[in-house]
Amino acid sequence: MACHSKSSQFIYPGPGKPLDVRQVDGQYEAFTIVERTTKQNLAKLLSSENSSVITESLLAGAIAMALCYIARIERTKPPGAKLNSRILVVTGSGCSASQYMNYMNVFFTAQKQNVFIDVCALEQHLSLLQQGCDITSGLYLKVPQLQGLLQYLLWVFLPEPPLREKLVLPPPVKVDYRAACFCHRELIDIGYVCSLCLSS
Amino acid sequence: MADNGLGSSSQDSTLIKQNNLECKNLYDYLKTRQPNILEKLYNHPTICLAVYRELPELARHYVIRILFVEQPVPQAVVASWGSQAFSKEHIFVSKVLSELSVWQEAAIPGGLLGWILSPTFKRNLKVALLGGGKAWSMSSALEADSKARDVTFLDAYSLERWECVLHYMVGSQQQEGISADAVRILLHAGLMKRDEEDGSPVITRQGFQFLLLDRQAQVWHFLLQYLDTVEERGLDLVECLTFLFQLSFSTLGKDYSTEGMSPGLLVFLQHLREFGLVYQRKRKAGRFYPTRLALNITSSQNKNASDIEEDAPKGYIVVETNYRVYAYTDSNLQVALIGLFTELMYRFPNLVVGVITRDSVRQALRGGITADQIIGYLKQHAHTQMLQVETKQPLPPTVVDQIKLWELERNRLTYNEGVLYSQFLSQADFNVLKEYAQSNGSLIWCNKEKRTLVINKSAHDDVKKFWKRYSKGN
Repeated sequence: MACHSKSSQFIYPGPGKPLDVRQVDGQYEAFTIVERTTKQNLAKLLSSENSSVITESLLAGAIAMALCYIARIERTKPPGAKLNSRILVVTGSGCSASQYMNYMNVFFTAQKQNVFIDVCALEQHLSLLQQGCDITSGLYLKVPQLQGLLQYLLWVFLPEPPLREKLVLPPPVKVDYRAACFCHRELIDIGYVCSLCLSS
Repeated sequence: MADNGLGSSSQDSTLIKQNNLECKNLYDYLKTRQPNILEKLYNHPTICLAVYRELPELARHYVIRILFVEQPVPQAVVASWGSQAFSKEHIFVSKVLSELSVWQEAAIPGGLLGWILSPTFKRNLKVALLGGGKAWSMSSALEADSKARDVTFLDAYSLERWECVLHYMVGSQQQEGISADAVRILLHAGLMKRDEEDGSPVITRQGFQFLLLDRQAQVWHFLLQYLDTVEERGLDLVECLTFLFQLSFSTLGKDYSTEGMSPGLLVFLQHLREFGLVYQRKRKAGRFYPTRLALNITSSQNKNASDIEEDAPKGYIVVETNYRVYAYTDSNLQVALIGLFTELMYRFPNLVVGVITRDSVRQALRGGITADQIIGYLKQHAHTQMLQVETKQPLPPTVVDQIKLWELERNRLTYNEGVLYSQFLSQADFNVLKEYAQSNGSLIWCNKEKRTLVINKSAHDDVKKFWKRYSKGN
């Protein structure tokens, strides 16, 4: 999936018919289809975006769409098959507290559905997403060097959840669990909490 | 109750070895090939991908981590990737990778030993993953087929062809016979043998076990036996194996061209067409369609969950807790298979009712079928209703346990060949000999009151010499 400040879209499997691909080289055909579809849809998405106003990326919405997709696959899979679902978020944008509510909603939903959320932060330190990883017991990694991105992806994020306890992976970091004020949308240290719904 | 051990002694005794069906998976098969054949095989990207898929999960991660690294990685570093608690698994995985020649030991400047992926394997795995290299079939130049076949047709075709072979094994006259080639393979595999009286092939014990396997395991085992005979037919083993793997990675429902295939490969293709692995409209047609049987034949038989995209054949067996079995089928083959281990009671046009009794199961066990095979067969063909009600244990646990118990009943006696020593003149002699045999580990049984010993037959000469020395010494 790809998302920016205006919309989120599925890249693979894209909407519409799958590509009819003939073998041109030694690559496994299924991989060729994935590669071509991804490139095509990503190019389409980037070229259709032409506004100059830059606001925050709609990550929470994209994660919600991904959760819906996972739920659909779970529903339609044959009985007896087991699915290890996880979501990997690769992002270069920052995060502010304006989407705090949405993020918390998706994180707790993911926790209920046993979906692991991993985050690969390219530029800035993302405290909200870090909380999400902590809630769903996923992995959070801020990439120190961008040239080594492939290596980080292969080493840290490739193993499936059952295998993760067998490998030595970056340990979880201390998470910044400050809540955000509901009206001002800022992170605060001390605040008032409603006794019914615990909104602060 | 007392006669159950003796009655089947001729089959169970360790004197006569019981040949059970040995199904090798890809790893076992490749382990037995020589390194130079492996090297030739690794020149093809599809084989590298197939081998990669077969590796245990930890091994797969090791390989992908050092796939893009040019220098050897120190062994200590690789060992530190796994956590301490799983070090045994790390050792097992290293052994697997070395046996398959996926990685080799190499020296690093500095004196440490390191692992490096074998260059052909590395290069071709990269090709399979990322692209580059040659395509194995010239399909890009193929125009659209005027008489294209869709997936349902291919499925029906492959089912019909494969069942032909199975029906022939069971001996039901429902289908026409199969070619002499196929019969030869069945005989070579030990699944059928020539009857003494009239020379016609008759199914053997291993044949029954073969019939109870799931479809994928059957196809793979059959193909392995075929590959064994391939040298005699004048075909090249490496070529055939390569083509087989390429086929298993192709896409269902797409046609591939036969251009550029050597004559040996074309013969192989015709054989595959007969078994239902590919479909070709005519022998001379320039294109063929792989069927579902050919796809994923190399994947491990340990995978219990069926592939999410694969449309497994519908289950049709319902097992009740009162040991009744209802099979909603009218195919003679399936009825015959159920009749192997149940007592058939009623037969309707679309339903067969049977009862699992002690006698029927023991009769199957006598024929060499194991309880696990029976249970696996029932589980595999369990009706969807049973799967929906209880996904973890589709079969009633009482029935499963009882079948296993009936199998265990036959294992109450073990047989060892031995020599009886009796009529010792004094207790001291008896004790000395007993101590000696015990220290050797060849003592099977002894009785102090009657002063008799039973010694293992292989150690008999040894013990006799000792006794002669001892009695001379006294």
